[in-house]
Amino acid sequence: MSSVGSRPHLIYLAIGFPPAAKSCAYRMRETANQFCNEGWDVTVVTIAREAWEADYGLDLTLLEGVDPRIRVIELPLFREDLETDIRLFDEDRALRPNAWNAELRRRQVEIFPEPCFGPWKDDLEEAVLRIHRETPADLLLTTCTPYVNLAPAWRLWQEAKVPYAVDFRDGWSIDVVDGVEAFARDSAESHWEQKVLGQALCLTVVNDPIAEHYRARYPSLADRVHVVRNGYDKDSAPGYVDSTHADDGLVFGYLGTVNFTVKQLQTVLDAWRAAREQEPLLKNARFELRGHIGSGASREANKHTEILKQAEVDDVFFGGPAAKADIASLYAGWDAMVLILIGGKYVTSGKVYEYMATGLPIVSAHAVEHDASNVLRDHPLWTGAVGLDSKALADSFIRAAHMAVETTAEEHKAAVAHADQFSREKLMAAGVRIILEEYATRYAGKSAVIEGSTP
Amino acid sequence: MTEVLIIASSRPQFSVLADAISKFEALGARVHLAGTFHLSAVSEQMDGLGLDAAAVHQLPRGLGHRNQAIRRQAAKGPRGLQVWLQAQRDPWLRARARSADLLVALDQNAVYTVWRLAQRHPAAEARFGLAPALRALQKIQSQPDDGRTARRENTLPPLGVVGRDIRRGVTSVPSLLMRTATSRRVMRTTLGARLWRTASTAPGLPPAARAATARYVAEGMQLAGRNEGASLALRNAAAKISDLALRAELLDEAVAPALKRGKSPSDMDQSVAAHLAHADAAFAAGEITAAKDALGRALQLHFHRVIHIDQLSSPLTEDPESYVDPLYRSTAMQALSRPRGRKVPAADAPTDRPLRLLVTVSANDNFLHHIRDHFSNHPGVELRFLDLAASKPLSRISWAAARILEDRLSDGTSPYQEEVERLMRPHLDWADTVLLEWAVGPAAMLTTIDPGDTRVMVRLHSYEVFTRWPHMTDYSRVDDLVFVAPHVRDLATSLLPQLRGEQAPRIHVVNNTIDLPHFVRPKSAEARFNLGLVGIGQVPKDPLWAVRVLKLLREHDERYRLLLVGDDMDPSNSQAARAYRKDFEKEVAPLVEDGAVLRLGHTDDVASKLTDIGVILSASVRESFHIAVVEGAASGAVPVVRDWPYYAGKPNSARTIYPSEWVVSSPEEAVQRILRTTADETTWLNAGKLASDHAMTTWDWSVVRKGYEELFLGED
Repeated sequence: MSSVGSRPHLIYLAIGFPPAAKSCAYRMRETANQFCNEGWDVTVVTIAREAWEADYGLDLTLLEGVDPRIRVIELPLFREDLETDIRLFDEDRALRPNAWNAELRRRQVEIFPEPCFGPWKDDLEEAVLRIHRETPADLLLTTCTPYVNLAPAWRLWQEAKVPYAVDFRDGWSIDVVDGVEAFARDSAESHWEQKVLGQALCLTVVNDPIAEHYRARYPSLADRVHVVRNGYDKDSAPGYVDSTHADDGLVFGYLGTVNFTVKQLQTVLDAWRAAREQEPLLKNARFELRGHIGSGASREANKHTEILKQAEVDDVFFGGPAAKADIASLYAGWDAMVLILIGGKYVTSGKVYEYMATGLPIVSAHAVEHDASNVLRDHPLWTGAVGLDSKALADSFIRAAHMAVETTAEEHKAAVAHADQFSREKLMAAGVRIILEEYATRYAGKSAVIEGSTP
Repeated sequence: MTEVLIIASSRPQFSVLADAISKFEALGARVHLAGTFHLSAVSEQMDGLGLDAAAVHQLPRGLGHRNQAIRRQAAKGPRGLQVWLQAQRDPWLRARARSADLLVALDQNAVYTVWRLAQRHPAAEARFGLAPALRALQKIQSQPDDGRTARRENTLPPLGVVGRDIRRGVTSVPSLLMRTATSRRVMRTTLGARLWRTASTAPGLPPAARAATARYVAEGMQLAGRNEGASLALRNAAAKISDLALRAELLDEAVAPALKRGKSPSDMDQSVAAHLAHADAAFAAGEITAAKDALGRALQLHFHRVIHIDQLSSPLTEDPESYVDPLYRSTAMQALSRPRGRKVPAADAPTDRPLRLLVTVSANDNFLHHIRDHFSNHPGVELRFLDLAASKPLSRISWAAARILEDRLSDGTSPYQEEVERLMRPHLDWADTVLLEWAVGPAAMLTTIDPGDTRVMVRLHSYEVFTRWPHMTDYSRVDDLVFVAPHVRDLATSLLPQLRGEQAPRIHVVNNTIDLPHFVRPKSAEARFNLGLVGIGQVPKDPLWAVRVLKLLREHDERYRLLLVGDDMDPSNSQAARAYRKDFEKEVAPLVEDGAVLRLGHTDDVASKLTDIGVILSASVRESFHIAVVEGAASGAVPVVRDWPYYAGKPNSARTIYPSEWVVSSPEEAVQRILRTTADETTWLNAGKLASDHAMTTWDWSVVRKGYEELFLGED
């Protein structure tokens, strides 16, 4: 591949790109595809597939939607803390795992202030410089996490003045889960963030509260901060399928990584149990959960898994990860969605959009003040945000059961239509155009890439 | 057949394991499971794994089969080493490991055992966790056998591994020798114990050797049951060591075993003094880390829960000023407690908009419900609630004792202050008034920073005065300190010089918040002879006092019974709780059998239980307010309150909270009051009615809330 000629060249630092079975993979895939559509040659830099085996695993079906023109470079980088081959442990690690891990983190953050990923800095920098030497880049887009991805962007800027944009998705200096600043202003993390964002073409994040945080923290950056929401993929939304399973038992579904606390899961399961005791429509209902649980040694072998196994008596079933290609058919078999989310006003999640696109009733199991609530506000089949109170959640399950059997096909279709504004393709296309407009504005004479884009 | 050997040191998650085993077997593997946890205690779950009996093996659960020197080595080592030393010589394990293609550690503490086995059996794969093991199995099976089976059966351990094992043995010889020389057998004899104690104080020994000898001697003596001798050996050696850090360490080790047993050590003062001396020296030398560690430990020991919380008496209440005097003579402590003050005073409550009230707690909001409900709906208040325990970053800073000490001793130059600033300032910026419930870690944390013009209120209930936290709080940054009882206020002001200085906060006493009307219900027919004790879960509740009252009463009239409401004391809370519970069970068992004591257990509906209770007891050695008594009184039960020994005889006590006739000095006096007030139905009902009227007109929320309105809004 060569950019020498008409097509400009983008280096896209996207650790988590397909086939990684990570929720960020969808945004990355669509972003890369949209750059292709806009007439760019795209080189994606990610890490080796084997590395994801130790993390959340692989989903090879994700590759099907990747534009074949995209070049993917997989670097042999692994997280040392996730190693499970005991033969590779030294005696100290085997004997004192906690102390060993603490020491590992201390060493890692000396290289770059991010535990687990810090040591990747040099390899990422060298890889980006090598790619640029081989095929000069016109633009670099880096997406985080991990934040170590900022280092190669900065290095390439320093050495070759290749402009870069940053897609933080969530944000580094804001702890989106707890809603507090994540680190001090004179910390190493803050120095990196300030330095890299200071020279960035623009910064994109997934929701308004995070954007506000960055505008307030770096006023000089304010007009270069943009919101690019996550959205849902059309190919994983079945549209509305008129096949309510009331007679055989309603099916409630959760699809996504199980990243919430055991307490939150327990609250949802308690509510489910209570709702089934109260509501005849739920007597023979099922609750299916699909997705990844745990990583490293505790993959699918943690407390969450155990609780879910024990909840089988209440017709709760955990079915493991679902391939991206199977998601549409999975949704088609469900009658209502259960949206279990961590965090609050700074968290939106990706799955809220996908859930909306099913046109099914949605039970919200998250904080009341949550960005998902903002997205769902006008959704006609939402039971509302009642917080993490098991009694109130039980009522939500009951409301959703009634919605599932009483709502007309037209109402379901209206719900699907409501979600249409959040299709990932539309949102990412707009997002990529924002980046390219910033690029064109800053680097006059390069605007042709926007005007002359070819799908 | 591929052989898989799984090793677990603690109870696995059985459903997950069963699922994984079926996947291993579906791939044609034979699975063996060995555990150091108690397998037969979970036999039902073990059966559910679907493994043959021969495939499941109980590894030694302890080190009883190893010699004492090994046991002592294990006790000092990490848990993984203990598991390995337990399992190391097990013939079943060795045989299965020899034939295994895949060794799996199911939990973190089993990793070292798998690591050691893997060193000896290089043909086997070794994994941590079930999902990685499953992937490894798939990989093994995707490869041709190529004589793998024969190779693993015949492989001898690599020479390097054998060499390393020998070296390990050799390097541990001196400690093993010392442990053998100071074995329990030797230390059990008076001669052996005296000889070794003398050895640790022999003249001319270098400090490190003296300390090491004393430690081996103490270890041996403890095993021989000579606890005081062990402590003496360490104290004697410490007396001959001039290095302040090492001396403090040894004196700390001298008190640690007693604390572990739930006993107050006799030599605690010496240990605290040694840590303070070390802290002061380090502080003077500018060694902040050493100073904060030493001061932190001194505070921990001086306010150790074993001494003050889990006992029936505390040296702290006898003469509070004297108790804290050595502490406040320390220069490091003076630096910690120096008032930093605030740049501007707290602003007056706004008049053009509702007061912004931030109610803050770390998890325990038991006594906040009425305040939250009332002021959430108050037109003059905009209330926000912040539970610090619900947020990881806030929770991390809220109980960070070592970081707080470091910040104070370094005069606010540590990163901690910045972190508190970053996480708490947005809340302070919003609030006009912050109410911080419980005077513990969060109060120490919040007063690390200048609150600006936000008014800071801290509410102190009771147990906090027995902890180190009030001594780590800067009261010059607290505007109002609210107590729920005057005797607790007295104790706190005696203990804390900061509450008596120029920059002391305003001090208030406002009763705890209780909603009483729903306790007023008709009594059952048999209630008159039923004594009730509500809340028996902690040692200071001293339910044995109530049992004593019951026994004395039954000498007069066997119709009296005692109803115990609430969870039993959890023996796992502390050794003191375990010991108390044991005595309690022994005492109460025959009474339960006779029907004289009824254990009603936990309830969420105390009001209903109180309908059967005619006399409500407070048997505690200390309380701030004892809500259960007030609720009982409101219900029409006759209150009989022990003059709480921690405060008895002081200007304020149970006698100044309650009407004096409610309070008794002894079980005998309690019996007299009960006999008198329950002599007949009318007398009993009248006494109950009087108590109920008093409770309702004094302590009901409708009355008490005015105090809080005045506090927050200045409303009278």
